[in-house]
Amino acid sequence: MASGEPLLAVEHLTKHFGDVVALNDVTFSISDGITGILGENGAGKSTAIKILLGLLQPTSGTASVLGRNASQSVAVRARVGYMPEHDCLPTQTSAAEFLTHMAEVSGLPPAMARTRAADTLRHVGLFEERYRAIGGYSTGMKQRVKLGQSLVHDPAFVFLDEPTAGLDPAGREDMLTLIRKTHREFGISVLFSSHLMADIERTCDRIIVLQDGRLVQSGEVGQFTRETETVFIEVDSNRPELAAALEKRGVAVTVERSGLTIEGPDESVYDHVRDALVEARAPLRRMAPRRRALTELFDRADDIASTNGVA
Amino acid sequence: MTETVARTEDALDYGAASGTVFDIGYQRYAGRREGRGRSRVAVFKDGFRTALGFGRGARAKVLPWFFIGVLSAIGLVMAIVAGAANRLGGPGTAERAGLPSHSDFYSFASIILFVFAAVVAPELLCPDRRNRVISLYLVRPLSGSDYILSRWAAFLVVMLAAVWLPQFILFFGLSMGDPDPVAYLRAHWLDIPRFLASGAAMAAYTTTLAMLTASFTTRRAYASVFLVGLFIITAPFTVGLAEEIKGPAGPWVSMFNLTNIPVHVNDVIFGEASEITEDAPARTLGSAMLVAWYFLWTLGPGAVLWWRYRRLSP
Repeated sequence: MASGEPLLAVEHLTKHFGDVVALNDVTFSISDGITGILGENGAGKSTAIKILLGLLQPTSGTASVLGRNASQSVAVRARVGYMPEHDCLPTQTSAAEFLTHMAEVSGLPPAMARTRAADTLRHVGLFEERYRAIGGYSTGMKQRVKLGQSLVHDPAFVFLDEPTAGLDPAGREDMLTLIRKTHREFGISVLFSSHLMADIERTCDRIIVLQDGRLVQSGEVGQFTRETETVFIEVDSNRPELAAALEKRGVAVTVERSGLTIEGPDESVYDHVRDALVEARAPLRRMAPRRRALTELFDRADDIASTNGVA
Repeated sequence: MTETVARTEDALDYGAASGTVFDIGYQRYAGRREGRGRSRVAVFKDGFRTALGFGRGARAKVLPWFFIGVLSAIGLVMAIVAGAANRLGGPGTAERAGLPSHSDFYSFASIILFVFAAVVAPELLCPDRRNRVISLYLVRPLSGSDYILSRWAAFLVVMLAAVWLPQFILFFGLSMGDPDPVAYLRAHWLDIPRFLASGAAMAAYTTTLAMLTASFTTRRAYASVFLVGLFIITAPFTVGLAEEIKGPAGPWVSMFNLTNIPVHVNDVIFGEASEITEDAPARTLGSAMLVAWYFLWTLGPGAVLWWRYRRLSP
């Protein structure tokens, strides 16, 4: 693969299951880093991942992984890892034996497979428990085994399908930390699918948003949150007067039940706020910058769809 | 960077030499990747170990080794009886007395071999689909066809061991039981390729049917019960029906006795009828038809099995 070439690329990807359109003319590319693929259930995330893994043939369009056509190359799967959302672990085998076997199935020689399995189990925090049967593991430990099997053969790229599903808050935090560490310390690029915006926002560098099989947004996570940065102002009284004073100064204001919100402010807006508070005689209780959550991406996508007349 | 490379090379050298596990934490892998061939071997090896219960608890070993023990015991008893007859009555006594030998072994042992396949073969396929481990195989450098061929080959090897081991015990016993072992070997050496070919036919047939049945369910018990029922029920049913019908349809009904299908091939190879097939109406259809029928019942289910896994996706 030539340097500078994206690790994954899909162009005009469409997938139909009978009358159901799972993916509709989707185009994106992914380079090094952690990329989140965000969408509600049925948005097409898993279908996109399966096409990229070469497990499904697209109806039209192309998907390439590490510079090779995903559907025509079984060999490329030796360099990618996949952590499915669903349960996929044997119950009577130990984690050490299972990861060793999975490493061999990925093409590693048996002696190296054993060494890699031990190293990977240490990485995911299961080294002490590695000889216990997986059937006796907790949900969090099973998720770690699933992550471990996706990393044991040292992939260049790993697909994680809902890796925090079923975890409690502490387990979720641990899993997100592990994913960040996997990329930052070992340079393994990650495509991380989730319907939990908070997970994506905290973990990913870039984001792809799918809705009803269509690509609705893509770009840097920071860019999205910057675009939606707001200042929230709460006053004890005279809220309508304050809004009027701000609008008189050319500041766009949204009046909410608990206060006022100013969209995408620059530095000068704070002077306007100070002057407007004095003019409106509004006692200030709280003023704080606020970043909107990625949930609003879906609202914005809906707005775009309704503007374009899409049901 | 230099240190990392050195550590990797150390791990590679020592790991390859002794298989020792080094606790040096996760690191990038710069060693050899052996591709699809290694994947197939890994699935084959795992299937072989699973079938014989290696690397698992005592319970997993009980059934396969019980059956292999029973089959070997049959060969041993046959060898002792025939050997004793030859020792007491002189060379060739066992043969003249019509005591069972290599050509008869599979007619005695076929039902045990079918039950063995019915009980053990599903263990190679059902848990992978029940636990959805299959989805992890299919995202590695391995196709559905690779997976099923490797699993099939793994169980075939186990079956070959189960069908050939008692025959070798029997041959060794008959040779040693004969007052003149060298003369026995000279006279009967052709029995070895015959029982090898006959055993291979038996193993391929039972392996394929057992794996195909296991591919339709995620529950090992369902597959086992269905297979045992299939072999046990079709035998008396077809025999009874063939006797009732008589006429030209009788032999064709008899052909559906699934237990007899590989035993007919055994008869063709040895050139004589076995205990359970000598009265079978199917024999009147001729050797070519019996062999063709065997291939139909082995290659047909094999093709269905391959087709089912070829189109499998997680």
